[in-house]
Amino acid sequence: MADHGQTEQMLEMYIYETTQNIEQLEAVILAAENADRYDEDSINEIFRIMHTIKGSSAMMLFDSLAALAHKMEDLFYFLRERQPAFIDYSLLSDLVLEGIDFMKVELQKIKNGDPADGEAGQLLQSIENYVTVLKEQTTAAAETAATAAGQLKTPMPAAADSSIYKAVLHFAADCGMENIRAYTLVLQLQEQVAELQYLPEDLDSADSAELIREKGFTLFLRSDKSYAELEEILAQTLFLERLELSQLPAAETAAAGAKDGDVPETMQQLKERTAQETNLAAGSQAVISVSVSKLDQLMDLVGEMVIAESMVTQNPDLKGLQLDNFEKAARQLHKITGELQDLVMSIRMVPLATTFHKMHRLVRDMSRQLNKEVKLQLLGEQTEVDKNIIEHIADPLMHLIRNAMDHGLERKEEREALGKPAVGTITLEAKNAGSDVLILVKDDGRGLNKAKILERAQAQGLLTKPAAEMTEQEIYELVFLPGFSTKKDVTEFSGRGVGMDVVANNLQLVGGSVAVDSVAGEGCTFTLKIPLTLAIIDSMNVKVGNSCFTIPIASIKECLRAQQHTLLHDTNGDEMLMVRGVCYPIIRLHQYFALDTPITDLSEGILIMVEHDKQGCLLFVDELLGQQEVVVKALPAYIRNRHQSKGLSGCTLLGDGSISLILDVGGLLN
Amino acid sequence: MTRVLVVDDAAFMRMAIKNMLESNGMEIVGEAENGAVAVKKYVELKPDLVTMDITMPEMNGLDALKAIMQLDPQAKVIMVSAMGQEAMVKEAIMSGAKSFIIKPFKADHVLKTINSIL
Amino acid sequence: MAERAAQEDFFVQDDEDTQKGKYLIFSLGKEQYGLEIKYVMEIIGIQPITEVPELPPYIRGIINLRGKIVPVMDVRLRFKKEFKEYSDRTCVIVIQVEEVAMGLIVDAVEEVLSIPDSEIVSLPEIKQNTNRYIKGVGKVGDVVKLLLDCTKLLTEDELEDLSEL
Repeated sequence: MADHGQTEQMLEMYIYETTQNIEQLEAVILAAENADRYDEDSINEIFRIMHTIKGSSAMMLFDSLAALAHKMEDLFYFLRERQPAFIDYSLLSDLVLEGIDFMKVELQKIKNGDPADGEAGQLLQSIENYVTVLKEQTTAAAETAATAAGQLKTPMPAAADSSIYKAVLHFAADCGMENIRAYTLVLQLQEQVAELQYLPEDLDSADSAELIREKGFTLFLRSDKSYAELEEILAQTLFLERLELSQLPAAETAAAGAKDGDVPETMQQLKERTAQETNLAAGSQAVISVSVSKLDQLMDLVGEMVIAESMVTQNPDLKGLQLDNFEKAARQLHKITGELQDLVMSIRMVPLATTFHKMHRLVRDMSRQLNKEVKLQLLGEQTEVDKNIIEHIADPLMHLIRNAMDHGLERKEEREALGKPAVGTITLEAKNAGSDVLILVKDDGRGLNKAKILERAQAQGLLTKPAAEMTEQEIYELVFLPGFSTKKDVTEFSGRGVGMDVVANNLQLVGGSVAVDSVAGEGCTFTLKIPLTLAIIDSMNVKVGNSCFTIPIASIKECLRAQQHTLLHDTNGDEMLMVRGVCYPIIRLHQYFALDTPITDLSEGILIMVEHDKQGCLLFVDELLGQQEVVVKALPAYIRNRHQSKGLSGCTLLGDGSISLILDVGGLLN
Repeated sequence: MTRVLVVDDAAFMRMAIKNMLESNGMEIVGEAENGAVAVKKYVELKPDLVTMDITMPEMNGLDALKAIMQLDPQAKVIMVSAMGQEAMVKEAIMSGAKSFIIKPFKADHVLKTINSIL
Repeated sequence: MAERAAQEDFFVQDDEDTQKGKYLIFSLGKEQYGLEIKYVMEIIGIQPITEVPELPPYIRGIINLRGKIVPVMDVRLRFKKEFKEYSDRTCVIVIQVEEVAMGLIVDAVEEVLSIPDSEIVSLPEIKQNTNRYIKGVGKVGDVVKLLLDCTKLLTEDELEDLSEL
């Protein structure tokens, strides 16, 4: 483990697995809490997960994590073994969830490469106290703890032809479980010596390990073996540090009976059992976990293959040739690559369920904190989204739910006075809509306050036109503007200086958007629109000078030639064009990117009308090259770090192996 | 080369043991994430040595040990335990486990234990 | 997985031993430069380059290296030398420093040389423009080769941009 690469790899695995364990743990606990009882399975599962975390953390020397997991394990061990009749489940959940939170924080530190230096002392104490309480409650149940006196029962007589030896063994300081090591030795020796007695006698209790550590393990043996033979046998004991062996004066003895081994099962039974186990194993192997980076690689390769396929089947060398068989084979190849591509895409798709379920915890904690009773309703949680996108929507969702709980939903009394159900409802719903997925965050609270929004926006100088001229929709959407926040007082959950604009920005990062709708007194709905996937987009390739650019079809409204339209100039000299009575600014890509092209007259080239967030403009390009599905690749890190322009979102490979730059329409419009 | 089957429900632990053993010239011929798989793999692979975690889902290490010992009384199984599992380790030793290691383990402990039974 | 990693480690160690003290020598005009061979991934001829707008002039754009998109840097321009049209002899040395890959456009690749540490001296403080990227001068017979610091070559441009202001 001294090897650096291995340590890195193990750390990665540790973080991955522990994160999964914690998520699983949280799910089990929340489910148990909803059912208002911890059934045997949940207790077993929690125990097992804590056990795993304890072991892994101790290996990685994350002591505070290991200690906490250990305490939790103890707690659930107690619950499992003793099954106390009365358990305060809510207190139990609180304890465990607090523990989970601690672990999450530590894990995040570890992920960031910071030392996991959290102190769980307080929490450990609380768990300890709770275990004590439970224990006191269950002491009524009779406890039969047999504690051995540690005294040798009878002096051992020896047979005439054998000698009696006394051996004292000391184990290495940190070998652990000395009592079991002693027991192992006893088991071994029983086969080799005539009679055996030992101290301490009771090797089951933890005290015996302590005793052996302090005083050593004392054996009295009667055997016909020589001193040297015996010494050799004993010296093989694992983790033996010191051995004192001495021969005692001979005496009389009685033989000790040896126990026979158990009768083995018949071959038939064995076979059946193994067969059963094999089936079990086959079932549990059906799912494997694969690292996302491997999937990314696979995705890249499939993308390459799609390109290579078109390079072969549309090879200029084939032009004009009559190749029926080739055509047939090419179609087959095309079909297979298509299916492969779909399959790879589908592998990357994961259901939103995990992300949705995380919100249960948030709602639970907040409803306690704010003293509002809230029900979280999940719909369409099986809807699938690309793995890369999911990572970007958890935060916005959390923010929206916090907002709904904090500002949207009224207090119980208020709700009752209004004739609403006392328990507020937040609905989280996902559904497919074409190549997009819609996620709705709906609450049945008081709805957005138009007057307050306007007032606030005015105060912040965010209004671009007179309030009277604004539609309801426009007013609501003011909340997404940077620097807008209607709440003056900051609570623990919402309003940590972060506004709705962050939600909007997060979604824009993945090519999504957010809209809001609200009915006063009835509640408010935020609709998040996110693309199914980022990896492959349908796009239009265009040419500017010698360069090729790729524009996502999703943002293209139409393509037109500037002939019958009216060209205007604004006061800055920027060009605008009237299309069906609406004025659109023109962005000449050759100017924007400072490229040489012979086509500078608007009537010679093509204008592409693009739209982003309800803002439109016309991009001027030399010509259209055609529509195709492209595999999105990121620009190299070196370029990303140095690139000032907002106009590019990535690049893609064309059929001939050349590179095309993907335009970021949102960036161009800003 | 000693052929080892590593049994543990935590992939992390399997990796830890694997790294330790491989860097000491042993060959990991298989891994199993629960007792049932372990028994199946044992039959399949006939390893020289098995490291067997105790707490696992589906079938725990004790039951797997017992099954393996019945199939092959010569099997060399080392239990991987944690502090506090003395009773189970004892049962394992009674059931034929050759030795045991305690988590968190150090490479020299593990190797010493393994070498003692090979 | 661990097995593969262990093997890779093994190879890297092996490589580091055999690669130590070896330099890939390339030329810009009359001057010869050396790169530590461990950074060099491959050497290819000049490729079609896709320009990326709004980058420093010495970053010529990006190329498609078997599906991997790699930026290319004209080392002449990087060292404030005159631009030279690309020809058959023009080479792209693809280097990788940590996670960052970069193609270096040079006039020609000459050879691989072993230069022991004892033959490498630090550079006198004369050439203000380039010596930031040069970590030493290697002597091979009577000829000197300027040995480049690949890490600085890829990371220190922000500094340079500031000093140009």
